[in-house]
Amino acid sequence: MKRNVAIIGGGQTYHAARRHDVDQAEMVNEAVRRALDDAGLTIDEIDLVLLGNMEFFEGMHMTDCWLVHGTGAYGRPGLKITTGGTVGATIVCAGAHHVASGLFDRVLCIGFEKQEEGDTGAILSGVASPLWGRSMAGAAVGYFAMLATSYMAAWGAKEEHSAMVAVKARQNARKNKYAHLKIDLKMEDVMNSKMLAYPIKLHDMCPASNGACAVILADEKTAKKRCKKPVWIRAMDTAHNEQFELDWRDVKTKRPIFSKVSSSRIYKKLGVTKPSEYFDVFEVYEPATWSELLWYEDLGICGPGEGFKLIEKGMTNIDGPIPVNPSGGVLSTNCIGASAMLRVWEAALQIRGDAEEHQVPKDVRRALTTAYGGTNWTVITALSKSLDE
Amino acid sequence: MIKTTEEQISIPMVVNVPYEFAAGEYLTRGLSELRDNGKFYAVKCPKCQRVQLPPRIVCAVCHVKNDAWVELGQEGTLVGFTIMFIPMTDPTTGKPHEPPFAYGSVRLDGATSVLDHFLHVEPDMEKIWVGMRFKLVLRPKAERIGDLSDVMYFEPLPGQKRPGRTN
Repeated sequence: MKRNVAIIGGGQTYHAARRHDVDQAEMVNEAVRRALDDAGLTIDEIDLVLLGNMEFFEGMHMTDCWLVHGTGAYGRPGLKITTGGTVGATIVCAGAHHVASGLFDRVLCIGFEKQEEGDTGAILSGVASPLWGRSMAGAAVGYFAMLATSYMAAWGAKEEHSAMVAVKARQNARKNKYAHLKIDLKMEDVMNSKMLAYPIKLHDMCPASNGACAVILADEKTAKKRCKKPVWIRAMDTAHNEQFELDWRDVKTKRPIFSKVSSSRIYKKLGVTKPSEYFDVFEVYEPATWSELLWYEDLGICGPGEGFKLIEKGMTNIDGPIPVNPSGGVLSTNCIGASAMLRVWEAALQIRGDAEEHQVPKDVRRALTTAYGGTNWTVITALSKSLDE
Repeated sequence: MIKTTEEQISIPMVVNVPYEFAAGEYLTRGLSELRDNGKFYAVKCPKCQRVQLPPRIVCAVCHVKNDAWVELGQEGTLVGFTIMFIPMTDPTTGKPHEPPFAYGSVRLDGATSVLDHFLHVEPDMEKIWVGMRFKLVLRPKAERIGDLSDVMYFEPLPGQKRPGRTN
């Protein structure tokens, strides 16, 4: 990058299934105020505001205009970004580019979703092509179910393995005061939960959450002057998939799919050969349990077909050698437009040592986060504690 | 924490938006073949040789014009499936597909791409497996309109036995 970029502050709302106590601007403002307080900045010191959410989930276009009082964008440069499930990470990525370019020094990034105000299933159908196969595209659960049957057939994994991911996520979420689903979940609860689309059961899927996240990015000079614990954005990478093709539902594909392409590029930029040793913590975008197992493999934390063995051995537990999603992840909180930003912010909290009860019990110097969106693309972000690593 | 106040006004609203999408040059040709002749056509990339569905003008990987048309087989292999146990709204009609029902991705013989559709099998996970062979069943010609709904479902080829491994 032309200039180094740091996260100098951030904040999030308490995420919940129901937030009828606030309108969209009020909800977004909760996260913005927490981020400004955390960074010790006033809104007048912000010189660019980037906002994003899932297009039309709240039934309203131009959220960047309508929420201007809540975001703080009044009278200053700003953009709206909507890239599906990835949007929160795309906003951070775009913000980092704006700072790295030298044109802006302090950028406020905001992602939000108020799912309760619309019909997520109905709007998600608009993600499918209207010309080819939309009739079958009712909900995300069917897609992840096909991914799961493909995974089970290819590697011999069982439904119990996905249940282990669900238990890990919800037990971690119980330690995260902001998380939506904080359930004392046991294996039998997951296995006995309602079958939605074989083999995906109720507890294998993420909830529909309302919430917002905001982070503030700054150049190196500002970060060192104003922030005690800056977290550095060391590298980012994005890759699109070919939307009409099989992608994650063919787990044995030899094609260069988004997740593998993007992670191998970011490792090359950073000189990473063993990601499980290089990074101290991972925050991945897992709308369904099975997608977390695929992330293990596509990120090279383990080999192909070994993801389910990793969870079986407890390797990715909060106190394991390769902690993944100590926050509880998307499986516990999915306010979609904020979800990918929450991955970045939660990883930054881990590096700062500020994750409180869900802080992983080891020195965290480097973290990797992923995003995932319905157009099958990703934004991967690598963070570090100092500029020396 | 989240405030709970006594009165929270919220305003309900339903928005109906009609659309009409142009299928374009390539898909129009593919869908007319399906409607008029009951055939599935795909396009082949001159560079990477991938046989792609739906027919589209440019190969995304090579960014060259797809100019060869290939007729696909009417049979194919299941690569992923699910049994849906919740009513899934058909976005094109607004009505739910009644559960339980099976659907999956089938790679028609000769294609690189897959096609998603209903599987005309008992919705029993023991009776469907990855690798199972299926054939296309189309609506009668008089009922076809030039859309993927001209396919009724995939039907399993007779006499198949589930292989000895689990799905």
